[in-house]
Amino acid sequence: MTWLTWRQYRLQALIGAVVLAAFAAVMLVTGFQMAAQWHTILAGCTASGTCGTLQQGSVSLGGVLGHDFAILSMLAPVLFGVLVGAPLVAHEFEARTSDFAWAQSITRIHWLAVKVGWLLLAAAVWGGVIAALVTWWSGPRNAAFADAFQVNYFDQQGIVPIGYSVFATALGIAAGAVLRRTLPAIAIVIGGFLGMRLWISQSLRMHFMSPVTTFYSVTGGFNPPAGSAILNGGLVDKAGQVVTGSSGNVMTVFIDGVPSTSLPAACQRVLPASASSPAGPGPSNAVLNAVNECLQKAGYRQFLSYQPISRYWAFQGIETGIYVAVAAVLIAVTFYAVSRKDA
Amino acid sequence: MSWILWREYRAAALITAVLVAAFAALIAITGVQVASQWHSALAACSASHSCGNLSGTLFLGSHAVGFLVIMTLGVPAVLGILVGAPLLAHEFETGTAQYGWTQSITRRRWLFVKTGWPLLAAAAIGGLVSALVTWWSGPNNALQGNAFNPGRFDIMGIVPVGYAVFGVALGIAAGALLRRTLPAIAVTLAGFIAVRAVIFMLLRSHFMRAVTSYFPVGGGAPTGAGWQLSAGYVGAGGQPIPIPQSVSGQVLGGGAAGGLPVSSLPAQCQAAAGNGPFTRATYHAVVSCAQAHGIRGYLTYQPASRYWAFQGIETGIFLVLAAALLAITFAVILRRDA
Repeated sequence: MTWLTWRQYRLQALIGAVVLAAFAAVMLVTGFQMAAQWHTILAGCTASGTCGTLQQGSVSLGGVLGHDFAILSMLAPVLFGVLVGAPLVAHEFEARTSDFAWAQSITRIHWLAVKVGWLLLAAAVWGGVIAALVTWWSGPRNAAFADAFQVNYFDQQGIVPIGYSVFATALGIAAGAVLRRTLPAIAIVIGGFLGMRLWISQSLRMHFMSPVTTFYSVTGGFNPPAGSAILNGGLVDKAGQVVTGSSGNVMTVFIDGVPSTSLPAACQRVLPASASSPAGPGPSNAVLNAVNECLQKAGYRQFLSYQPISRYWAFQGIETGIYVAVAAVLIAVTFYAVSRKDA
Repeated sequence: MSWILWREYRAAALITAVLVAAFAALIAITGVQVASQWHSALAACSASHSCGNLSGTLFLGSHAVGFLVIMTLGVPAVLGILVGAPLLAHEFETGTAQYGWTQSITRRRWLFVKTGWPLLAAAAIGGLVSALVTWWSGPNNALQGNAFNPGRFDIMGIVPVGYAVFGVALGIAAGALLRRTLPAIAVTLAGFIAVRAVIFMLLRSHFMRAVTSYFPVGGGAPTGAGWQLSAGYVGAGGQPIPIPQSVSGQVLGGGAAGGLPVSSLPAQCQAAAGNGPFTRATYHAVVSCAQAHGIRGYLTYQPASRYWAFQGIETGIFLVLAAALLAITFAVILRRDA
């Protein structure tokens, strides 16, 4: 059965290997260029003692080609799901080769287990090789910009692409087994994969663990560890209530991120009338300091909620686990659908 | 024949209509919000005469909808995969082509109707999605002035119509040549991304000769440039002034051409800068020294007034490519033995 699977997929395996090799060539060439560029910048700023002031705006790293390929790598899982996952069972039904296979000496479950097992393994390798290349390529950018925990960069690196790839393939297999037609299964893979990825990356991911919230003085400042993902921040009053105001209202002056009209009356009085009108030049530093002193006395504090960068690998593990678990459910659905079908 | 086609595609047409309607509803609701946010921001900043720095401080719309709008880049490829690639390949795979060709109508007519309606539908879907995205992006285009930039140019105006027709035509041609759906899907996806990438990364900036505008060191670079291609500084003889990849120390100017670090200037001007931050006097001394050495800033760009010309050229290219692919399809199908 393993031999049969290899015979069925050897051409696809060859094409996949060629595509991977081409991708690797681009990432290696542009990656070494970028690494050399980064070392030159580091050597230059070490000599002049200005490495502390390297900012995202003043450094450009890597060319357009490598960057575009890194972004395109986010499509690799759905490609595998569309081209390998969706037709895996569906095409056997469409071409009626399943009838032939099921009339042989091995059981239907055995037939399915070997095919599904090898191709999920191939999906994991496909996702893993691409992720390893992109992760290595991104090294200098991660060091310079500290953005590996941000949406889209998190999604290209580490181990999550393996989870995405296994999930997309399992989704294709399950959709094909249930619908028994390849094209609708492909449409399900495209829609389902995009939906799941968007939902988790945009709304769920930042709540995998409860964020760290740091309170600090109104007159002071606070920087979370570089690279941490920020959820929100703002001002709390003495009772710990977050001071809110309609953030879309641009008709008033904002102080510490809240509209001046939401501040306690005592502190609003510190603002001269000219400073609280949006038509004026805005409050002076002296006025801002006076307002902050007043807020400090009234027991106000600032806060910042964030996921520290030290949780990066925990988050990678949780997200990969979610996708692998969903893939396992989809594979269970596949086995159920195939074993229930009349031959 | 048109009736058969409708019977074949009515389920797909229904699903597509539902998806497009859902997208339209979302865009309409959030678009009205974006527009009102934009109008109140304009009213406030014109009252306080601070509209000049609005693009740095105002964020319009939400990240999620903005992301969805960018995702419409993929609509033509999806149409090519789901409509174009199986159109003929699936007929060959299931043998229904032979049945179709033994009926009273000619093979040419069968092919003409079978390709014509889906291509029209692709143009309509591409145009509808693009119209929604273009309308939704109006305030953002006015705010950021970036409608000509790669990525934004590609989801607005009329180019999405060209992409959609090309994507479907590519799928049809790949299916006619390969006669199998899955390889046709793979070729469609790879070919679509490759052609789009080559045209937007290599060719688009050369559709018309770019304009280069010069400005004095320390002066303001031209604004409202449209699509900026390159910028920097040149010496008296037109030779480019090398600028290190990481800029530190004293810097002249800024804006579109970026800063000109003092360390890139002739030694005489570096001496005028002195040590530490600029004072007003040393700044003017360095600027006039650089100007005396003939150093000027330049900005190479495609003016915003060419936006619709570029839209027309790019759409034309993709429609011509689509026509060539359809010609190949007709040649292959009409010559094939039944």
